[in-house]
Amino acid sequence: MSETTLRLDRVGPVATVTLDRPDRGNAISMTMVRELEQLCHLLEDEAAERVLVLRGAGGTFCSGIDLLDFPPEAKPDIRGFSRWEKACRTIERLPMVTIAAIDGECVGGGLQLALTCDARVATERASFQLHEVRDGFLPGMGTFRLAKFIGLGRARFMAMTGRRVAAGEAFELGIVDRVCPAAGLDAAVGATIAAFGEIHRDAVELARRLFDESFEIPYEDFLGCFLAAQHRAIQSEAFKALVREAHERGVPRPRR
Amino acid sequence: MTRAPVPPRILAVGTSHPPRAYTQDDLVRLFRCEDPKVRQFFESSHIQRRHLVLPEPDADGVMPDEDGGALLAKHLRVSLEIGREAVERCLGANRRTAVEVDFFATTTSTGFLCPGLTAYLIEASGMRSSVHRADIVGMGCNAGMNGLLTVASFAAANPGRAALLLACEVCSAAYVFELTARAGVVNSLFGDGAAAVLVVADERLTAADGPALLGFESHIVHAARDEMRFDFENGRFSFYLGWEIPYLIGEQIRTPVLRLLDRFGLKRRDISHWVVHSGGKKVVDAIKYNLGLTDHDVRHTRSVLRDFGNISSASILFSLEKLTRERIAGEGDYGVVIAMGPGVSIETGLLRW
Repeated sequence: MSETTLRLDRVGPVATVTLDRPDRGNAISMTMVRELEQLCHLLEDEAAERVLVLRGAGGTFCSGIDLLDFPPEAKPDIRGFSRWEKACRTIERLPMVTIAAIDGECVGGGLQLALTCDARVATERASFQLHEVRDGFLPGMGTFRLAKFIGLGRARFMAMTGRRVAAGEAFELGIVDRVCPAAGLDAAVGATIAAFGEIHRDAVELARRLFDESFEIPYEDFLGCFLAAQHRAIQSEAFKALVREAHERGVPRPRR
Repeated sequence: MTRAPVPPRILAVGTSHPPRAYTQDDLVRLFRCEDPKVRQFFESSHIQRRHLVLPEPDADGVMPDEDGGALLAKHLRVSLEIGREAVERCLGANRRTAVEVDFFATTTSTGFLCPGLTAYLIEASGMRSSVHRADIVGMGCNAGMNGLLTVASFAAANPGRAALLLACEVCSAAYVFELTARAGVVNSLFGDGAAAVLVVADERLTAADGPALLGFESHIVHAARDEMRFDFENGRFSFYLGWEIPYLIGEQIRTPVLRLLDRFGLKRRDISHWVVHSGGKKVVDAIKYNLGLTDHDVRHTRSVLRDFGNISSASILFSLEKLTRERIAGEGDYGVVIAMGPGVSIETGLLRW
């Protein structure tokens, strides 16, 4: 596969996908959407890595949608947005830990992309913005995701004013999990990866899905979902090894 | 040069059910059930109503006991009503008449007849006396797929000839309807219904006529054979369902599904439509989390469960009818059909529009 808008680097357990259109602020074009989905499928099928890091080339994470992708004369159609959400959902369903490593602008679709990840690491010069409502359209499914991170009131204010939020405030709001100096992004990403420990692919995928669904499903239904997911998790080799080891040591807790 | 074999296609689906529907509350009241544990099954179940054929309560409001003979007679009577209607609707949807049917198979697990149901329905529906037939009896909920494989095999081997499958389940005639602790789960679950599908292999047919049946994969788990079974006690049947069965099916589901997809070089994401047996809430959840399916993927499975309960071998065909009516499947779309039941058995099939 040869991407024109993305770069894939695979080192040990970590796959890094870099949005690679620095001359256009890594803006999201339809080609990028397609390539992002294809790359996710590749990573899922090969199951060679346990971590996906998303980052941007040239000191910007992502400046949002590429308006040059819309032909000026034609009637705009909705299919591209559907395709984009499908790509976001593909990331949200990956059986690997996903981390957005954010330097510079993280705007519109860029913020949506970051919100699909399990963790967001940002440099001090990073900034966050959903400008779309102010510009007369909508921030994708950001209306669906952002409030779950920062609460309905703050999400509405942020999205409807299009206000730019600096890294420090983004950390306070809960958009970002870790802030680091501009030169320290790689180290901060490394430390974040280490924080996830061994990483069990099935458990990561199931836990993320259950957390997402916890906002949508009544308790009784959710309980059924949890039991089905937990049944799958405890059939894993990892859980069996955990039990075996506990018996060998005579200690009820796993070794940490 | 050899030509690729023409795959059989599903050209039409027709369904029917007894007219009277009971809500779970209706049944708890009708059978004067006081046991809180049993009532819980009826409250927590994701079934709103089921079509059933039950006797009227006597003058004192007590439900009369039905003996084995009465249940068998009910099975035949209701099967003829709903079976004939499902066959008519299916053939009518494809603008065909009963005399055009060349092979007729039925599946049922709710009554043992000899001669079988085909012998009655061939006459009642007006099929030719020369029609080939097969009665598949006692295989349980997965039988819809076993039946589909049977008619698809006939159709593939006899291009141009019409094979009809009728899944006909009168669950209210299968065993004595009682609201005891042990019977509570199953009596809060199963409903009556019949569904027919018409399958033909003909090179002139296209995706617009219906999905092609590309292949099947079966998986039987011997270790749990006794966990889903009919028992015969005191001269009548009762159905037993082990509590762990939904999870066991979830654990095993990827084996046949991935085998089926691998055979055709497909991934789960290539499947646009899932037709999953409405076995019960727990098993649908288990399949969802083991295959990574969404609520959208199982919308018909859930709505059939809500409106009809588990109609055994007919369930997948009710879901398939709903999918067909949506008219969203486009040419080239793939679909996977999954049915599970006693054995423990998981039966899967691949569709392509």
